[in-house]
Amino acid sequence: MSASLPCLGYGLGLRSTYYQQILEQSPAVDWFEVVSENFMVQGGKALYYLDAIAERYPVVMHGVSLSIGGPHALDPAYLNQLKLLAERVRPAWISDHLCWSRGNAHQLHDLLPLPYTEESLYYVAERVRQVQDVLQRPLVLENVSSYVRSADDDFSEWQFLEALSRLSGCELLLDVNNVYVSARNHGFDPWTFIQGLPANKVRQLHLAGHSDYGDYVIDTHDHPVSDSVWALYERTLEYLGPVATLLERDDHLPPFEELLGELQKARELGDSVLARRLKCA
Amino acid sequence: MRLIDWQLAFESYLLGEQSAACPALSAHLIGGPTLDVNTGLAIYHNAYQARLLEVLRGDYPVIWHWLGDVEFEQLAAAYIRQSPSVHFSLRWLGESFEPFIRQHLVPEQSAALAELAALEWAFTLAFDAPECKPLTLQDMAILSPQDWPTLRVCPSAAVQWLECAYNSIALWRSVKDESGFPGSAALKAPHVVVIWRSELVCHYRSVESGEARALKGMFQEDWDFAELCSDLAVSYGEGAPLQAVTWLKQWIHDGWLKRRES
Repeated sequence: MSASLPCLGYGLGLRSTYYQQILEQSPAVDWFEVVSENFMVQGGKALYYLDAIAERYPVVMHGVSLSIGGPHALDPAYLNQLKLLAERVRPAWISDHLCWSRGNAHQLHDLLPLPYTEESLYYVAERVRQVQDVLQRPLVLENVSSYVRSADDDFSEWQFLEALSRLSGCELLLDVNNVYVSARNHGFDPWTFIQGLPANKVRQLHLAGHSDYGDYVIDTHDHPVSDSVWALYERTLEYLGPVATLLERDDHLPPFEELLGELQKARELGDSVLARRLKCA
Repeated sequence: MRLIDWQLAFESYLLGEQSAACPALSAHLIGGPTLDVNTGLAIYHNAYQARLLEVLRGDYPVIWHWLGDVEFEQLAAAYIRQSPSVHFSLRWLGESFEPFIRQHLVPEQSAALAELAALEWAFTLAFDAPECKPLTLQDMAILSPQDWPTLRVCPSAAVQWLECAYNSIALWRSVKDESGFPGSAALKAPHVVVIWRSELVCHYRSVESGEARALKGMFQEDWDFAELCSDLAVSYGEGAPLQAVTWLKQWIHDGWLKRRES
C-alpha cells in the first residue's frame, strides 16, 4: 500500500513566537502550515510575516472554523476570506477538520465530533462539494480527537472518512496523535483506524503532543510527541510511504531550536523507514 | 436522534453554565472503557469556557491585572453568557466588552473600567488595521498653493481616538512596563489619546486640548485647511497658519492622515 500524492517533506506549524527567528535563520524546515483564521485580518504584523515567509517556504493553509458538519449554512463571508487568503498565499493545499465548530446561532470554537451516520455522511459530502466548488481544489479534512461519540453511529470514524472521501473527492489529513487520543478514549485499535483509510487519499500527517490523565487523554498540543505516537507514526509511514509530515505545537511553546530538534527526529525516523521500505520493494 | 437535534442539544450544553449534561443528550452519547460520558462532555465544556477566557485575557491584560483572576473570570463569564461568540474568528470575541461593562456594572464601578476596555480594544484595532498609504511630507511639498486652503484630511485606517477621563494610559503603561500598578484615578481634566500603528508597531500619544480640537475639526467636522486656520486665529491670531502647519507636519510625520478628496 502506498500513498500517491506528492510529498512536501517535514513542516512546522507557523506560530507568531517564531516569526523573527524564521526570517533571520532560514531554518531547515521544508514547509510551514498556517492557521488560516489567524491571517484573516486586514493588515499588521501577521500578514507582514506571512508574506515574507511564504516567499521563502511552501505554505499550507489549515483552518479551524469551516464547520463542515455544522447545523448552519456554510458561511459565504468565511469562504470568501479563505479564498482571498489562498490567492495571497498560494498554498500547496487547504485543510480543515471533519467536525462542526459552529452551532445554530453561535460559534463554539472547538472541533466537535460528528455522529458517523448515513445522514451525516450525505450532509457533509454535499457541503464538501460546495466548498471545493468555491476553492476550485480538493478540500483536505483532518480526523479530530474526541471525548464522546454518538451512540447512534452507523460507521466507525475511519469508515466514515473513507466513504466521505469517495463521495466528495476530499483528501485526508491523518493526525496520528488524534488517532492515538481517540483510540485510548474510546477503546479502539489505532492501527485498525489507519489501515481503514484510503492510503492514496492521505495528503498529510500531523504529529503533536497530548496530556495523559490515565483514564483518558486530551489532545493539548502542549507537550513533545509521545513515544506511543512516534511508534504509531513509524508504522504509518511504513504503510503509507512518503507523506508530508507536520509537527504541531500550540501551547507551552519551547525554544525554536527544541522544536527544530523534534522535527529532525521526525525526519530521521521518516528517512530510515522510507529507506527500509525501498530496500524491501 | 437526528443530526440537527443532536447538535442543538450539544450546543445548548456547551453554552450553559452547568457542566452536567441533560439526559436527552447523554442518552445518545458513548464514552469509552475508562472515560464516562459526563467526563467526556465536561472536557468539551471546560475547553469552551477556558478557550474564550484565554482570548479575553489576551485582549484585556490590563483589566485582568486590575481585577485579578477571580473577578476577571466572573466578569468574562458573564460577558460570554450574554454575548456568545458570533464571528468565526476569536479575534472579534472581545468587541463588545466595553459596552457590556457599562451595562453590567453600576456607573461608579464601570466608568473607569469601561474606559480602560475601550483603550485596550483600540490597540487591538490599530494592531491589525488595513494597510493604507498615509499622506507624506513629499505629498505636501508638491501641493500647489491654490490647493492648500481646500485641503481636507481624514484619519488613516490604523488611527484610533479615545477621550479619557481616567488615568487609563498610566494603568496600561504600568502593566506593559511591569511596574507598580498605580490604581485608577479620575483626571483633573479629560484628554484625548490617539492610538495608531506605524509600520508594525502600535503607538499612543496624549493630545492637548487645542490640538485635539483641531484634529476633531479636521476628522469629524470636515474642516478644510482654511477653516482650521480660521478657528486657530481666535487663539493664535496671525500665528494661526504657522500653528496649523506645525500640527499638520506632526500628524503627517506620525502617519495619521489620509487626504480626503472633496
